[in-house]
Amino acid sequence: MAPSMESTTGFKFDNVRRNQLLGDKGYKVPTATKTGTTIVGLIFRDGVILGADTRATAGPIVADKNCEKIHYLAPNMYCCGAGTAADTEFTTNMISSQLALHSLSTGREARVVTAMTMLKQYLFKYQGHIGAALVLGGYDVGGPHLFTIYPHGSTDKLPYVTMGSGSLAAMSVFESRWRQGMSREEGIELVKDAIEAGIFNDMGSGSNVDVCVITKGNTEYLRNYARPNERVEKEQSYKFPAGTTEFIVPRPAGVAAGEESTAMDTSA
Amino acid sequence: MEAQFAIAGKDFVVSVTDKNVVHSIVKMKHTQDKTWQLLPMTLMSVCGEPGDTDSYAEYIQGNAKLYSVRNARDLSVGETANFIRGELARALRSRNPFQVNLLVAGYDKEKKEAALYWIDYLAAMAKVPYGAHGYCSYFLYSVMDREYTEDITLEQALDIVKKCIAVIKTRFMIDLPDFTIKIIDQNGTREIEQSDL
Amino acid sequence: MSIMEYNGSAVVAMVGKNCVAIAADKRLGQRALTVDMNFQKVFPITDRTAEERIIEPKTFSNLVSHMLYERRFGPYFVEPVIAGLDKDNKPFVGTASDNLFGMCESLWEPDLEPEELFETISQALLNAVDRDAMSGWGAVVHVITKDGVITRDLKGRMD
Repeated sequence: MAPSMESTTGFKFDNVRRNQLLGDKGYKVPTATKTGTTIVGLIFRDGVILGADTRATAGPIVADKNCEKIHYLAPNMYCCGAGTAADTEFTTNMISSQLALHSLSTGREARVVTAMTMLKQYLFKYQGHIGAALVLGGYDVGGPHLFTIYPHGSTDKLPYVTMGSGSLAAMSVFESRWRQGMSREEGIELVKDAIEAGIFNDMGSGSNVDVCVITKGNTEYLRNYARPNERVEKEQSYKFPAGTTEFIVPRPAGVAAGEESTAMDTSA
Repeated sequence: MEAQFAIAGKDFVVSVTDKNVVHSIVKMKHTQDKTWQLLPMTLMSVCGEPGDTDSYAEYIQGNAKLYSVRNARDLSVGETANFIRGELARALRSRNPFQVNLLVAGYDKEKKEAALYWIDYLAAMAKVPYGAHGYCSYFLYSVMDREYTEDITLEQALDIVKKCIAVIKTRFMIDLPDFTIKIIDQNGTREIEQSDL
Repeated sequence: MSIMEYNGSAVVAMVGKNCVAIAADKRLGQRALTVDMNFQKVFPITDRTAEERIIEPKTFSNLVSHMLYERRFGPYFVEPVIAGLDKDNKPFVGTASDNLFGMCESLWEPDLEPEELFETISQALLNAVDRDAMSGWGAVVHVITKDGVITRDLKGRMD
């Protein structure tokens, strides 16, 4: 096998040839779960507020109705993720651990620009193949910072930002109502409304609103700050009476399925 | 367009493989034995891309024997099948995968039972009571599903083989005149002729 | 056709009250052709009797997650589901797909006892595979409680 195939760190490519073979044979190969998402961030008087919806989708199916899209980076820094679910999760996780090591070796709290630079350099290296679109917010020695980072590695620094499939709906709320020096309450309310605009107007976004408020020396993670889509109680219980399901013989624990055979029932 | 199938009972396996060697639309040979005696108690029938079949089978046979020499102990049927599957999976992810479908039949002396493993070219493996590969399997499974019983005897299995060959001859587009029929049990492997069925 | 439907299967796991259940059908196929009707799809990872130093379900699922992400650009075509009880017997569960989502959505409710959970997961799986041509042919259910594992082979439709 070629030496390049045997790296011990980073990504592995040992399945690539087989997958190409299967692809050439005409079998559709699955794509990674991309989450339709609404994520936002804004700067207010005392810091940064991040917001996200909680719907995870796999194609048209809602895979998780209450997932977490605001990821921890450092005590003073959080990051919202849109795009390929696995990529946002693992990228933020990895940068988070690098930041922890960084602040341990410097003896200082990591700066938001440091995290931003690490993220953009990592994403640029992979030329957009890692599909993470991020909203990064935090508070450091230089005050509040808010960035958007695109999958190819470009970044923006803005006072209010939105990303994901619901970004247009959310931005319309920000464009009409954001202003300089908003209070904490006003900021949270605006973030909530922006996310709800995504939840109700974008098919890919839904369920609840997560909010994260980062101020000087303090972070507040408001999980499910708003729950505008509470499930109504079931009218009926679908509990089955014991004995509903026919089973063959209770097999002793630890006996594998292949160990004994079950004859095919052809009577039906 | 090849036919291979096998039926396992409690203490025997019957392996059946066609004898045709085909190139393009030409039948090159009609007496080819496509089974490989890996070990005294383990038989493997191989179909698929010509060339791949021989090189893969030779590789497996060599390694199975090498293991016996090094460890003074033969691999069991299950161990052999798992080795075959693993090597197929490894090759599948390399520059040169093998396009081969396999049936591994054998008798496990320790467990005192016969075993049959079905392995396809994507390295999926299943321990089965009966199995088949190729276009013929679409007919053969129907026959075997209906006729197979858990406590099947050798005579009954050979009767199913007879019915399977009959359905191939009546329904299959390609003419497969002759078959390698081998029986593996505690005494090892023996071959019988189609006319003996 | 997608490679994910090549062999065909259905796996599901559910949380109950101090218990979890994991279940799978038994079919192995090559597209529409059924090859095996007794194929093992649920595998024990730790043995509850050997309590010494076993991996926690959460830890194990992180391990699997990293193994899969490591092959982000050349994936394994698998969708694993992990179920187990942790040190405090807190249940932990991953998730499966399409038809099953619908069944689980309506049948599952919180705090089911082991026997109730068995009925619920069995009915969810059986009804889901009956609407999927590519899976079924019998099923197996394991209910994990702190006292051990209940394993049952379900009698399902064989068509």
